[in-house]
Amino acid sequence: MIELGRQAILIAWLIAAYTIVMALAAAWTRRRDFTASAENGVLAVWGAVLVAVAVLLHALVTRDFRIEYVAAYSSSTLPIYYTIAALWGGQKGSLLFWALILTSISSIVVLQNKQRNRELMPWVIVALMSVSLFFISLLFFITPPFETLAVPAREGRDLNPLLQNYWMTIHPPSLYLGFVGMSVPFAFAFAALATGKLDSSWIRTTRRWTLFAWFFLSLGNLFGALWAYEVLGWGGYWAWDPVENAAFMPWLTGTAFLHSVMIQEKKNMLKVWNMVLIILTFALTIFGTFLTRSGVISSVHSFTQSGLGPFFLYFLALVLVVSLGLLFLRLPMLRSENELDSLVSRESTFLFNNLILVGIAFAVFWGTMFPVISEAVRGVKITVGPPFFNKVNAPLGLILLFLMGVGPVIAWRRATWAHLKRTFAGPVITGLVAGALCFIGGIRNYWAIVSFSLIFFVLATIFAEFYRGVRARQAMVGDSVFRALSQLIAKNRRRYGGYIIHVGIVMIFVAITGTSIFRIEKQVTLNQGESFEIGGYELRYNGLEERDTLHIAYLMANMSVFVDGRQVDTLRPEKRFYKKPEQPTTEVAIRSTLGSDLYLVLGSYDAETRMATILAYLNPLIGFLYWGGITLALGTFVVILPTAATAPAASYVPARGDATETRS
Amino acid sequence: MKRNYKFGIGAAVLVAAVGYLMWAGVDQSSAYYFTIDEFLPQREAMAGQGIRLAGRVTPGSLSKKTSAKGTEMKFSVGDFTDEETAPVDTVAVEYTGVVPDMFDEGRDVIIEGTYANGVVLAKSVMTSCPSKYEPELEGQQAAAY
Repeated sequence: MIELGRQAILIAWLIAAYTIVMALAAAWTRRRDFTASAENGVLAVWGAVLVAVAVLLHALVTRDFRIEYVAAYSSSTLPIYYTIAALWGGQKGSLLFWALILTSISSIVVLQNKQRNRELMPWVIVALMSVSLFFISLLFFITPPFETLAVPAREGRDLNPLLQNYWMTIHPPSLYLGFVGMSVPFAFAFAALATGKLDSSWIRTTRRWTLFAWFFLSLGNLFGALWAYEVLGWGGYWAWDPVENAAFMPWLTGTAFLHSVMIQEKKNMLKVWNMVLIILTFALTIFGTFLTRSGVISSVHSFTQSGLGPFFLYFLALVLVVSLGLLFLRLPMLRSENELDSLVSRESTFLFNNLILVGIAFAVFWGTMFPVISEAVRGVKITVGPPFFNKVNAPLGLILLFLMGVGPVIAWRRATWAHLKRTFAGPVITGLVAGALCFIGGIRNYWAIVSFSLIFFVLATIFAEFYRGVRARQAMVGDSVFRALSQLIAKNRRRYGGYIIHVGIVMIFVAITGTSIFRIEKQVTLNQGESFEIGGYELRYNGLEERDTLHIAYLMANMSVFVDGRQVDTLRPEKRFYKKPEQPTTEVAIRSTLGSDLYLVLGSYDAETRMATILAYLNPLIGFLYWGGITLALGTFVVILPTAATAPAASYVPARGDATETRS
Repeated sequence: MKRNYKFGIGAAVLVAAVGYLMWAGVDQSSAYYFTIDEFLPQREAMAGQGIRLAGRVTPGSLSKKTSAKGTEMKFSVGDFTDEETAPVDTVAVEYTGVVPDMFDEGRDVIIEGTYANGVVLAKSVMTSCPSKYEPELEGQQAAAY
């Protein structure tokens, strides 16, 4: 079996190399049989990688501790779902898993385009298979997942306890789908550049793929945040760690791309910019992988340092040189067919939105790489912490929030004063009233007031859009409100789905505002029976409880939670001592209510005196992070799912002319 | 082309704003990053400045005392290279607060704080990551359980 896995990787490598050659030949000669052969090659690579993954999964599930990877990341007592998750729990397995996603996606792209984009496909295959070949090469030459131990282990070392959490089982696959998904629009952009077929067909073909990638990238980031919040036990969910930034940067540029392609579809503008954005986004996915695996930036939680770093850099350089070089050659063909008419228009609002998103991405890049940059320039490593990222990104984020209210509803070309007054008078008043209410309510933090004002401003613009649409439908067909609403969304899903996504993002802004400005944090050391107060809660420490099982010993602090003298809950923040490998972990205890989370951590304790140090956090509005994520997902489904008429087809069929349009 | 200049001005203002924010942000929140062997020769020059130190907690150096103020810890940190013998050059660290689960003698840590009078007063102590924690796996060692 192990040999089968090894052979499968070798075969995948060989076929991938063959496929690239064949696709290049097909592009050159335009011979159909070459293209067909390359397309079959893509499917064959996928098959071979699938076999390798199946072998590794089989080894994990059957606990084959001859294999180093299996022995390092699982054990005979690991539950089955974590055993499967161990496939992406370590470096080698996760690279193999990556290759699986990439080749699966490539195969779907090939199958989707059997009859379409015939001119582009050879180059699409060249791009997708080159990326695949890179990852398969790593698997073959650098980090072979089927390495065996000299002496088979009798027992595995088990998956790191911190990774044994449901968020952590879905966070990596989700991120990988997002990262890898971005290679589809990149491959089509590359093909458009290579063939000179530079109309917007590459954008229309890949619109759903871009959304697909963006969706998983968004969820991946959120899952990671929720994992950090529930597992790491420092009361927050985002620390601007290099690993987090690595996944956030492509999300930012990908979001910019999603918006700016709309301008190209409508106005044939920004063609070069769109190319730059998708190349940048793809490059950032590779860069992100590099960051997390190379150890070039010291991160609190990156993968093992390994010899992989330089290979990622070479590959990244190759990607950038080839694609930017091609772009440069094609510049004369990418002239914009329209110009900006006015600063106060949808086009320029979208452009500013793009600039801000890319600006944030650049600031995040700068902060992440600052140790490397400062060492190169000044010879000393200087790090910047979360305050840097917060200071830079808070104002930029608020401008972005403002533009999110303006962009979707402002007129194209040039907005007249009358239009502005008609569209924005209500939302502006709503925002101002919300700000005033905050002030009256006792909030004196101006960031918070501005943020909440903008949040209500955006919500009001979106509400007004739905309201106008529903009223118009009711007037026209006389439907009930609900029917009118569902018809409105169904008939124009791209537009209204987009609004729903915006509502989700606004909710995430609510959570960020609440937690970053109004968070309360306390650290107390208590004797048994002592109490302390935090944000309206009174907490009494009743003592330590112990529990011992075969694999884990638990130590819990029993905390009674009182509100107004009445006990409402008992929370037990705990320390767990895993016996194999020996490692203590912290399990937080959370009491979630609509408005806030009470979050308790058992920091340390004294075994003799039974004193315990408790870290307590009150995180206001953090629930909006979950709800925002769910709303965002719903909105994306509305946009991405096929219409009823085309429903029988695969859900990934790219939109053609039938795509619903945003208002023009 | 003529009309695009307005947008150009807008974009320039924005780029300038981002640049300013980044410059100001770096100015206010930067810390020098050293490994212990880089730090020791120039420690007096760095006194009072924000530093981040990467090193390994010297085995046998850790002492803890829990009181109502919290858990006070004293330990020393040396560089990574000395596997067998205890490192000669170390710096003393004092910290009151909560440490990560992985913190222990012999573990790799990153200390944030300031240096004064021969002691690093730590504001935070971080351990190098869990998934980085991959001890080399040998048959015997793993089989011992």
